[in-house]
Amino acid sequence: MGLFGSPLRIQVSVMILAAAMNPEALSSVEDSIARMRRGDPDALGAVISRYQHRLYRYLLRLVREPATADDLFQQTWLRVMERIGRYDAHRNFESWLFSVAHNLAVDFWRGKRGDSLEASDLSDSPGERLPAAGPDALEQLLDFERGAMLAACMDDLPAIHREVLTLRFEEDMKLEEIAEVACIPLSTVKSRLRRALEGLRAALEARFPRKWGA
Amino acid sequence: MSEHESMRELLALAAAGALEGEQQRRLEVHSCECPICRRELEIWSAYSQGLRRLPQPPLPGRLTERARARVLQERAAAADRRWNDLMLGALALFAWTVGLSFWFLLRIFSGGDLVIMGANLVRLGTWSALSTVLVWLTAAAAALALGKRRRDLRRVL
Repeated sequence: MGLFGSPLRIQVSVMILAAAMNPEALSSVEDSIARMRRGDPDALGAVISRYQHRLYRYLLRLVREPATADDLFQQTWLRVMERIGRYDAHRNFESWLFSVAHNLAVDFWRGKRGDSLEASDLSDSPGERLPAAGPDALEQLLDFERGAMLAACMDDLPAIHREVLTLRFEEDMKLEEIAEVACIPLSTVKSRLRRALEGLRAALEARFPRKWGA
Repeated sequence: MSEHESMRELLALAAAGALEGEQQRRLEVHSCECPICRRELEIWSAYSQGLRRLPQPPLPGRLTERARARVLQERAAAADRRWNDLMLGALALFAWTVGLSFWFLLRIFSGGDLVIMGANLVRLGTWSALSTVLVWLTAAAAALALGKRRRDLRRVL
């Protein structure tokens, strides 16, 4: 059984689906957020627990270092508690939460390198480096442990590309939500997503030419 | 740019579910007729599927508890800072009130003339200058003491 077909993954997917379809769970999160806004610290634990996997994964994809992701995770909740009074309850809490984390990651990059997420972008177009796909690329793609290979190659991409990929495919966010999180126009989200996918494919075919390339 | 080329540009976004209705419909029509684009779309879809199923990173130990503890600790520190600021303000106000009251009483009992080292202390200007210097010196000493206490607490935590 391949990596994607593992029983654990199915269980996790089923749990997430069940949680998403459970109105009681949703209302309890909304209730916890409302209590957080009133300054109730007990509500915080429930909300952190609910978003811990997704938020940590997003931060880790962005900064790649577990210790930094851990620190940014904690800073995100500090910032959330500082600004929860200004959070508009009509807005999507997830987008707001991830935008807080995004801003902290941007600050981290600036502090670390005097740089920005955007500045770490590649100057050349990945599309121009894209080799032709092999005749049996799809079969090979399905045969190998593609998740590990994709994750390894994703790490080589610029931060802004890793960000749109994880928000779109792992967090399953709409393009409008990604635009809100990353504070960029919708058209930029699309172009960034396309470049990210092309870059990923180029990286895979370059790194695993026999498995991915011509 | 030919229809084939323009459609080929959209394949990656199509697999990401990022095309609008009309573009998506045009692409579907084109890929039905074009085996190259159909094949490419299948490959992009496989990438898209793979990205949805990336291996998940393990969570660091006690992540929620540590984050919650840090938030509560910061909130307690912020409340402490607010309390200290409030106390400083209240003490400054109290000092001014005591100073003015003392000046008023001294002026009544001394008949408006209390000369020490050539300066008449019950004159409003002299008294105000002296009180201001004393209040600022006291406030600076209190701020230093509070700052030291805060640093000590941080070291302990």
